[in-house]
Amino acid sequence: MNLHFIFDLAKRDITEKYSGSTLGAIWNFIYPLVNIFIFTVIFANLMGSRLPGSSSTYSYGFYLTAGIIPWTAFSNTLLRTSTVFLDKKYIISKVKVNLSSFPLFIAISESITFFVTMGIFLILLVISGYGVSRTILLVPLLYLIQQMFAYGLGFLISIFVVFIRDLKEMINIVLQFWFWFTPIVYLYDVLPEFAKKILVLNPAFAFIHGYQSIFIYKEFPDLEILMYLALTACVILFISYFIFRKLEKDIRDCI
Amino acid sequence: MIKVSRISKRFTSYHSPADRLKEKIFRKKYHRDIIALENVSFEVKAGETLGIVGQNGAGKSTLLKILSGILLPDEGSIEIDGKITGLLELGTGFDHELTGLDNIFMNGTFLGMDKNEIERKKNAIIDFTELGNFIYEPIKTYSSGMLMRLAFSIAMHAEPKCFLVDEALSVGDVYFQQKCMRKILEFKNSGGSIIFVSHDMNAVKTLCDLTILLDSGCIVSYGKPKDIIDHYHGMILKKSHLGETEVKISEKKDLMGPQESKVSTEEVELLSFKILDLTGKEMTYVESEKVITIKYRVKALKELSDPHFGLHIRNRLGVSVFETNTYCMGEKTFPLKKGQVAELKWELDLLLSAGNYSFSVGVANKGYGRDAFEEYLFLAHDVKVLEVIPNSSSIVYSGIFNMKPKVTVQEELLEQISHY
Repeated sequence: MNLHFIFDLAKRDITEKYSGSTLGAIWNFIYPLVNIFIFTVIFANLMGSRLPGSSSTYSYGFYLTAGIIPWTAFSNTLLRTSTVFLDKKYIISKVKVNLSSFPLFIAISESITFFVTMGIFLILLVISGYGVSRTILLVPLLYLIQQMFAYGLGFLISIFVVFIRDLKEMINIVLQFWFWFTPIVYLYDVLPEFAKKILVLNPAFAFIHGYQSIFIYKEFPDLEILMYLALTACVILFISYFIFRKLEKDIRDCI
Repeated sequence: MIKVSRISKRFTSYHSPADRLKEKIFRKKYHRDIIALENVSFEVKAGETLGIVGQNGAGKSTLLKILSGILLPDEGSIEIDGKITGLLELGTGFDHELTGLDNIFMNGTFLGMDKNEIERKKNAIIDFTELGNFIYEPIKTYSSGMLMRLAFSIAMHAEPKCFLVDEALSVGDVYFQQKCMRKILEFKNSGGSIIFVSHDMNAVKTLCDLTILLDSGCIVSYGKPKDIIDHYHGMILKKSHLGETEVKISEKKDLMGPQESKVSTEEVELLSFKILDLTGKEMTYVESEKVITIKYRVKALKELSDPHFGLHIRNRLGVSVFETNTYCMGEKTFPLKKGQVAELKWELDLLLSAGNYSFSVGVANKGYGRDAFEEYLFLAHDVKVLEVIPNSSSIVYSGIFNMKPKVTVQEELLEQISHY
């Protein structure tokens, strides 16, 4: 299956999700930005949350943003990849597509949204005087590992969603909980000791904490847990591909 | 070129999706097997067109889906050299919010064309659809005929090596259907192979080089379109037959065995069939627009209360030119006792254009309604072949038959012209 086809799908994904509407592709960026705006205004201004050890009014807002932008990319990729065979049923059941590489277009489309919103975030950081450190060069690597994990897990689930449609709803709920089990809104430091210990088992913690390290604390992210995450992602990809080969026939029959 | 070997496909029908899981865990069977295809093998060479006929549920669409890679077979293999494009159902992958033009690009990509190719062929595709400015409207405003035109145009221009056509072509007006047929013939002549699934028997007879008859997932027969379709009709008659004796179908076998295909309950026997000229001599060829006499004798092997006798003339492709029977003609016949022989004498003014024609005989019992019978006793295809040669003293024409036109040409008077 050629790369061109997948990129074409990704492009369509961005433009066509809102085809027929006036604002069109811009809607893609409005949701995450609105999220960030609400959290920042409510928490920073209304609730007066501040980041301990930082004098800037907006540092808490930035802390939130640094977590939400990647989380959006991660959860959207995971959710949409897991339901891709159902969503794109009208294509898959009529035209021959390579089912294992087909869902990649989702990861690519979410990446575009990610980099655009990240760009805006960087501009805000610079304008506000908060500044950025050279560690931001690690962001692409961090993002790659994160997306590998999202895609692998999404693909694994997508195989089973075809047979058990309820999984689709369950993923939504799991992601809701997952969001709150990851220190995006609250700080890692406020957690009790036992929570900090088990938090390392949360794969999302690895990359979210990584972004926060880079943007807020201007440090290097914890490379050790990132490596474990990368390894986990590879294992999941292998397993899901293996299971897919076994079940491809049944998947095609069921769609 | 497509080579299909021993394809089998079974669908497993589960009562609920949970049963699927139960089966994997408890290792007990929780499903019902539906055999869609069993041991199907055939070959289509470059430039050949294969027709697939059969009743609904025979497995035709499943076979096409397997050929286009949408479904995977349980057993067997497929060898295809080159690209295969299918036209399964309307609007393959169409997004209804987008315009026709956008869908050309989207659908074209799905069919394997890259962006440059589509850009190059864009105008040709639009011209073929004859949609004009509608191409810029969202396709949710299109009628099903318009959708078909768009889908067909894109698929054709994708230049596949092999083209799979399912019933999709049955939508669309006659003008466009004919346009599609012409394009398909062009495609054929340039060496493309086609697999054509249809219920339109005449289209199959005209377009296809070979035909497969599928029934309940198995190939029942495989051969020349005319013979296969005859067999298919025999099968249908068998199902409509309400008599007690079973209808038997015998196929035409090449070289060996009976040279005609026959459907019979074996309760009547065709004793003889002759085509005679006015002097009573048997003929193998005749000039067009001459009166011919057909005599055939039928022996009843059981008592027949209301027997009727038919005659069917077909052209060399097996397309029906004329058929009728004594019931449809309103002719009264008399009951036959066992062992009695009925002699039929038909007189026809044969206005047919030059060509080879075949004659078939049918015998049925107890007519009802407009043209139906309770018992279909006998149907023999192509009992005799007759060559019709042009009549030198008649007009020059082409087509199916001479309609014996009358025409006058007059000079228009000046006064009439000034009225305009």
